[in-house]
Amino acid sequence: MVLITYIYALKELKRRKYRTVINITGFVIVVATLVALVTTARGWEAATAEPLKDIGTDMIMIYSAPVVPSGTGCYIANHLFSFPFNQSNIAEISEIEGVNRAVPVLMHRMGAVVFTGIDPRETKTNAVLPGNVVEGRYLTSEDGDVVLVDREYARLNNLTVGSEVRYMKGMYEIVGLVDVDAANILKSHIYVNLPVGQKGLPDDNIGLVNIALISVSDPRKVDDISETLTRRWLGATPIAASDLAATTSGVITIGEEMAWNVSFTLAVVAVLFTIRSQLAAVAERSREIGILKAIGWSKSDVMIQMFIESALQGAIGGVVGCVVGCGFAWYFLSTIGRVSSIDPTILVAGFCVALVSGIAAGLYPSWRVAKLTPMEALRTV
Amino acid sequence: MGKWNVIELQGLSRVYYLKSGEEIRAVDSVDLVVPEGEFLTVIGPSGSGKTTLLNLVGGLDMPTSGKVIVDGLDVSRLSEAELVKFRREKVGFVFQSFNLIPTLTAVENVEAPLAPTDMPKAKRIERAKYLLKLVGLRGKIDRLPIELSMGEQQRVAIARAFANEPKVLLLDEPTGNLDTVTGKEIMKLCHEASKNRGQTVVAVTHASYIEEYTDRLLYMRDGRITNEIPEAELERTIT
Repeated sequence: MVLITYIYALKELKRRKYRTVINITGFVIVVATLVALVTTARGWEAATAEPLKDIGTDMIMIYSAPVVPSGTGCYIANHLFSFPFNQSNIAEISEIEGVNRAVPVLMHRMGAVVFTGIDPRETKTNAVLPGNVVEGRYLTSEDGDVVLVDREYARLNNLTVGSEVRYMKGMYEIVGLVDVDAANILKSHIYVNLPVGQKGLPDDNIGLVNIALISVSDPRKVDDISETLTRRWLGATPIAASDLAATTSGVITIGEEMAWNVSFTLAVVAVLFTIRSQLAAVAERSREIGILKAIGWSKSDVMIQMFIESALQGAIGGVVGCVVGCGFAWYFLSTIGRVSSIDPTILVAGFCVALVSGIAAGLYPSWRVAKLTPMEALRTV
Repeated sequence: MGKWNVIELQGLSRVYYLKSGEEIRAVDSVDLVVPEGEFLTVIGPSGSGKTTLLNLVGGLDMPTSGKVIVDGLDVSRLSEAELVKFRREKVGFVFQSFNLIPTLTAVENVEAPLAPTDMPKAKRIERAKYLLKLVGLRGKIDRLPIELSMGEQQRVAIARAFANEPKVLLLDEPTGNLDTVTGKEIMKLCHEASKNRGQTVVAVTHASYIEEYTDRLLYMRDGRITNEIPEAELERTIT
């Protein structure tokens, strides 16, 4: 039974090419939207979270910055002296529920050069990590008048490991060159041991820091922690990945949840459209339905026939939609320079949405078919 | 011992009620028996109730009153599932307009009534091919209805009606759209089915050559059946 119904269904779809193409297009739009939006949303989220992930943190708290920074360390450095933040506050942040660890960073700027003081004992979460060293060595907590220099800055200024660089009022030896991603929000030209950096500040600022790198136990609680931080330290600006995404211009930001909602809305529209289309098909084929019933097909046989037709359209739309969606996702992600492989789960989900929508669209027309008596159907011309 | 009555109609009526309140008695108190293997032809003017009679016998329509007994089954008392089984196993329909499924090939059309049965696919195809060969369409089994002549389409319809080896073959103007030569071939096929396979045939037709093939001729007018055929009708039908 199944084989002939498939053959029959395929031939019927082929016979009504225009209608079939329109129905399938509906499902293609649904699935392509789902695949493209969800993949783009995930890619986008990953891309925006990367600068934070690169330095091993979930969020950055900047004490003093009055607005969300534009994404460069220079902005943070510019606001250093507005609202000094004592290093002891870092310990308090660590005690906030949900916070795993808070790492102090001091970032400031002298002319066009950005300096960052770090605690080299923090090798998992820091403005620069041992893994960033491309030449020489990383800092140690015993280091005094030595620095790490950004490789690009060193190249432009003809600096190498062993040469000296001027920092504040003294000369410091370069012990290592580091390569820090341009997207890293804390990218600086020169990195020094935290006490050395603090020593360079005016006397009344000794012991101060202006940034806390915060790791949280549950990334979903970032917003709650962010709220707590803002409440306790007025003037502090917590920055999470989503904040970075929101401030980046030129790319439409879309959340995964919204992508699913948009896709489901489209799926409902596609289902309604297909129902209407299948009902028209039922009307056109009443006589055939009558014949099938007259030659011994049961209600369920005829219903299955209609189901298969709808489901086939959904399945074809699902496959084509996945391909089209991948194409759009690839295009969108390429605009943010993050083309990555597409999660097969999204493709499976997209296909299932189309298939289920196709089946759902076949329900009502099938019921209408089942209701037709052979006589009613055969009378139709 | 007489032949087994495959079809028994007892006080059979089918009344349609119009919205205006008017009632139309398409079939009116018909009593009729058709023994096994008989080729019965019903003639009569359009609108006399012939097709309704066939539909009632074939379980496509339900009587307003009276009984339709086919092969011992009271059709009017069958459940929906039993009716499906009845239509599948007991009767084969041949319609004036052939009523083939346009998207299916000849062999698929003949296979269609077998599809809901337990018969394996290979056997279904084998049987469909055999039946098409029987009706003289051996080389055209993969053609679509549109690629066949009207006579060939009606042969496919007959092969389809034979598919489940029904007890009763119901022919509703089977030659209405065919020329005389083709029409005669079709009637011959049905006649042979009746004689060689013991199938009971009830035909509704206006074909003038029907007397060559039929065992009994009845006249229907205003929903009633009679043996007395008006002279004019007889002259028009049998020449």
